[in-house]
Amino acid sequence: MHGFHGRLLHIDLTRRESSWRDLEPSRLRAYLGGIGLGASLLYEWAPPGVEPFSPDNPLIFASAPLVGTGLTTTAKFAVVTKSPLTGFIADSLSSSRFALELKRIGVDALVVTGGASSLVYIFVKDGKVEIRDAERFRGQSAGATEAGVREELNSPEARIAAIGLAGENRVRFATISNEGRHAGRGGVGAVMGAKNLKAIALVGEHDVSCADPGGVEAVAESLRRRSLGPLTEKYRSIGTVANLSVFNRLGALPTRNFRQSTFSGAEAVSGETLTENHFSRRHGCASCTILCERLFKSAGGEEQRLEYETLFALGPLCGVEDAETVLGAARLCDEYGLDTISAGGTLAWAMECAEKGLLPEDKNIALRFGDAGALLAALPAIARRQGVGSLLAEGSRRAALEIGGKSAYWAMHVKGLEMPGYEPRSLKTMALGLAVSPRGACHNRSGAYEADFSGAVDRLSADSSRGGLVAESEDFAAVMDSLIVCKFLRKCFTDFYSEAGDLLGKVTGWDYTAAELKRAGERIHTMKKLFNIREGWRSEDDWLPERVLVEALPSGVAEGIALTPGELGQMIHGYYRARGWDEAGYVPEQKLIDLGISQNR
Amino acid sequence: MEPTNRFFANGSAVILSGGKSSRMGSAKALLRFDGEPLILHLARKLDALFSNLVVVAAPGQDLPPLPGTLVRDEVAYQGPVGGIYYGLRAAAGEVAFVTSCDVPFLQAELVAHLVSLIEDYDVVAPYWQERFQPLCAVYRTSVATLLGQQLARGELRPIYLYDKVRTRKVGEEEVRQFDPDGLSFFNMNSPADYELAQQRWRERQKFETEIETKNGRPRSISVSVPLSITVELFGVPRLLTKTKEISLSLSEPATLSDVFGALAERLPVLSGRVIDAEKKILSSGYACNVNGLSFVRNPGATVSSGDRIFIVSADAGG
Repeated sequence: MHGFHGRLLHIDLTRRESSWRDLEPSRLRAYLGGIGLGASLLYEWAPPGVEPFSPDNPLIFASAPLVGTGLTTTAKFAVVTKSPLTGFIADSLSSSRFALELKRIGVDALVVTGGASSLVYIFVKDGKVEIRDAERFRGQSAGATEAGVREELNSPEARIAAIGLAGENRVRFATISNEGRHAGRGGVGAVMGAKNLKAIALVGEHDVSCADPGGVEAVAESLRRRSLGPLTEKYRSIGTVANLSVFNRLGALPTRNFRQSTFSGAEAVSGETLTENHFSRRHGCASCTILCERLFKSAGGEEQRLEYETLFALGPLCGVEDAETVLGAARLCDEYGLDTISAGGTLAWAMECAEKGLLPEDKNIALRFGDAGALLAALPAIARRQGVGSLLAEGSRRAALEIGGKSAYWAMHVKGLEMPGYEPRSLKTMALGLAVSPRGACHNRSGAYEADFSGAVDRLSADSSRGGLVAESEDFAAVMDSLIVCKFLRKCFTDFYSEAGDLLGKVTGWDYTAAELKRAGERIHTMKKLFNIREGWRSEDDWLPERVLVEALPSGVAEGIALTPGELGQMIHGYYRARGWDEAGYVPEQKLIDLGISQNR
Repeated sequence: MEPTNRFFANGSAVILSGGKSSRMGSAKALLRFDGEPLILHLARKLDALFSNLVVVAAPGQDLPPLPGTLVRDEVAYQGPVGGIYYGLRAAAGEVAFVTSCDVPFLQAELVAHLVSLIEDYDVVAPYWQERFQPLCAVYRTSVATLLGQQLARGELRPIYLYDKVRTRKVGEEEVRQFDPDGLSFFNMNSPADYELAQQRWRERQKFETEIETKNGRPRSISVSVPLSITVELFGVPRLLTKTKEISLSLSEPATLSDVFGALAERLPVLSGRVIDAEKKILSSGYACNVNGLSFVRNPGATVSSGDRIFIVSADAGG
C-alpha cells in the first residue's frame, strides 16, 4: 500500500491498553484521510448519544495520504471528536511537525478512548505505547509542556501535541496545541482534558512510500513554484490580518458583538498598521512554502502570532482598538489554549450582557466594550474557571441559557460555535454557509465567502441559487481537508479535482478520477451530517443568531442591509435541494446508496 | 456604474446670472439659442458634469425653471466678487467651478482640467489675453470667508483674493491644450456679440451633426468629458506605495482597464506586481471592487465619474 499505512492505533486510557488495527483500503479510498477519515471513524467509534466529556467519546487524530510526501502545505492532521460546544461533530485541523510524526509512527489514525484516573501523557516510539504520569505538567502551557516532556523523555526528536490549562479545566473552547499552532475550534482540547490527557509525544520511523515518487516530486516542484506566485501574495506579504481593513471598508467586519459591520478603530488594528509598526518576522508550518504566519512584536519586545480571526475576535468584536491589547490577549489565549474566536465571541456576548445589566457581577472584572484591562483579566479567569470566567468557560450558548433573560439574543453562535469574522448580512452566501455547516458557525469547512468576494453573486442580496454554491464549496473543502492540502493553496490549482485526483493517483497508485474525488467530497460532507443527525440534529439547528435576522447594518457601505428569516429560509431550502436532501434537511436513503455509504457507515 | 457624466463627485458648479446687462439692452441670461435661454443650455451642461449646481441671481431677477439651487444676491450688483461669494456659500462640497451665464462655448475639457488642478490650491484661474478669468475658475468653498471680508472692505476685484491664497495661474499655452481658441472665455456684452455667437453656435451644431452622421452614432457626447476616479489601495498595494487612496482623471468613456493603466503610471511600483501594465489588467492575486458594492471581474466595464475603486487581494481567506 502506498500513501497510507492501512492501520490505526487505538489507545484506551481507562484500561491503559493499546492495539494496532487494520484499516480497510476501501474506507481509505472512500474517505481519504484527515477530516474524511476522522468523520468516518467518529461515526464508528462514538457510541450514539455519547456525552462529549464521557470517556467513551473518542478523540481521533487522523493523518492523510499527502502527509509526508513533501508537498507544500501538507504537514497537517485532523482532530475529530464530538464537540462539547455543539454536541455535534468537531473536526479541527492543525499543522506542524507533529503531523509528520503522527504518520511516521506507522498509522493513518490514532484513536484515544477512555479516561485516565490522573493526568497522563502518551508516548509512542518504536511501536511501543507508554502512558506516563503528567502531574508535574499540570497547569502548564502547551509550549512549556512540550519542552518539559521532550526533556523528560530525553528525546529531542519527539513531536508533541498538548493542552494548556483551559483544556485541563474543560473550558468548552479549549484547543490542542502543537509547536505554537492549534487545533482550535470546537473544544477538542476540552475533550482531551476530560480524558486527563495532557500531551501526546511521538517518535516515528516509518516513512510512507509513494507509487510514483518521480511523478510526486514533479507535482511538488510545480506546486512549490505556484505557491510563490501572485495568488498567494497576500499570505506571503502580510498574512491573513490583511483582511481587516478590506472587510471594514466593505461593511463585513463584525464589530461589538455584531452590532455593526464597520469599526471606527479599524485603522489602528489593521494588517497594514500592524505590519508597519509591529512586524517581527514570518514563519510557516512544516513543509510549507507560503509562510503565512506573522509574528508581531509588542512594546515589551515579545513576539506574538496573529491571524485575522484572532485579530477580529479580540479586537473589533470586543470594541478593542489597541494593537498592544490584541497582541496581549492573543498571547494569553495561546498560553492557556483557548480558541480565540470563541473566546472573543463569548467575551463580546458578556460585554453586551454587562451593558444591559444581565451579567453576574465579578468584583475583579467589569467587562465593557473596548475595555482592555477587563479583556486581559477575563481570559485567565476563563482558563482557571474563576468568578465570571467559570460561566464564560461554557461558551456563549450555555452561558446565555444559564443567565437567561434576553441574553440568548446576544449570543452569536450557530449550533453553539461562536461566529467567525465574516458578517453574514453583507455576505449573503457566507450567511448560508455559516447556517448549515455541520460543525457550527465555521469559515473553514466551506469557503462560501468566496462567492461573495468574487463578483460571482451580489453579496448583499439573497437567492436560492446560493445553495449550490455552498454545497460545492463544502465538498471542495472536504476534499482539501482530507488529502490534506492547505486552503491557502487552493487558488494555485487550475482544475483542482483533476490535478488533485492525478496527484492522489501518483501517491497511492490508485486510478483516482476527478469525478471520484468530487464524489468523495460529497460523501465526506454527508458523513458529518449523518453523525449530526444521529446525535440529534434538527432543522432548527441550521439557522443564524436572531440578531442578524432582526437588525439591519447601521453603518458603512452596507448601511441598511438586512437579512430576513424569509431570505435565509429560502437559501437553506435551495441548499437542501442542491444537496438532494429532503425539505427538512435529512439525507434520503437513496442518496446514501448513491454515495456508497453502507448501512454500518 | 451607470454613466452619470459627473466628473467631480463632491464638487459644485456655480452660474452667476445676476450681472448688469446694460450694454446688451436685455437680460443676458435669457438670450436664446436653439429656441431656449442660454442659461438653460449652460445649466444642463454643468449639471451633467457636477454633483451640485448653484445659480446666483439678482434680487427679483426673472429666470426660467432650472436644475440646481437658486440663490439671490443679498445686495445686488456688487460685481463678480459678490456673485462668487454668494455662490460659494451655497455650494456643496469643497470646491466649485464658477462661471458667468453668458458663455455659449464653455469647453468641458478645460473645466475638467481646471478642477483637476485644485488639489493643492485654493483657486485655479486661467490667464487669457493677459488677464485672469475669474468667471471661468475653480475655487475652494473655504475662501468664501475671505471674499465676505473683501466685500465688506469694498474690494470688488477678485484679484485681491488671488494674492492672499494659494492661486494656480493657468497660462495661455496650458489653456490651449484644452481649448485651442479660448472659446470658453467668449462672452456677450453687446447685440453684436450675440449675433456673432449665434452664427458660431449654428456652425458648431452643423459640425457636430456632420461628425455624428459620419460615425453613424447618435449624438450624445460631442466632447470627451473627463472623469474623476478615486482608487483605494489595501494590503500589499498600500504598503508598496505608502498610499491609501489616489485620485485619477480620465477621459470619458473610461473602463477599469483605463483606471489600472493610469494607476500604474501614477504609482509605477504597482506595475508588474499588482497591475499588468501592458495589458492594463490586475495581476491574478488581486481583485477590484467598485464603490464597496460590486466586485467587477471584467476590465472592460465602464467606470463613472466619482466612482471609488478598491484594489484588494483576490483571496478573502482567513
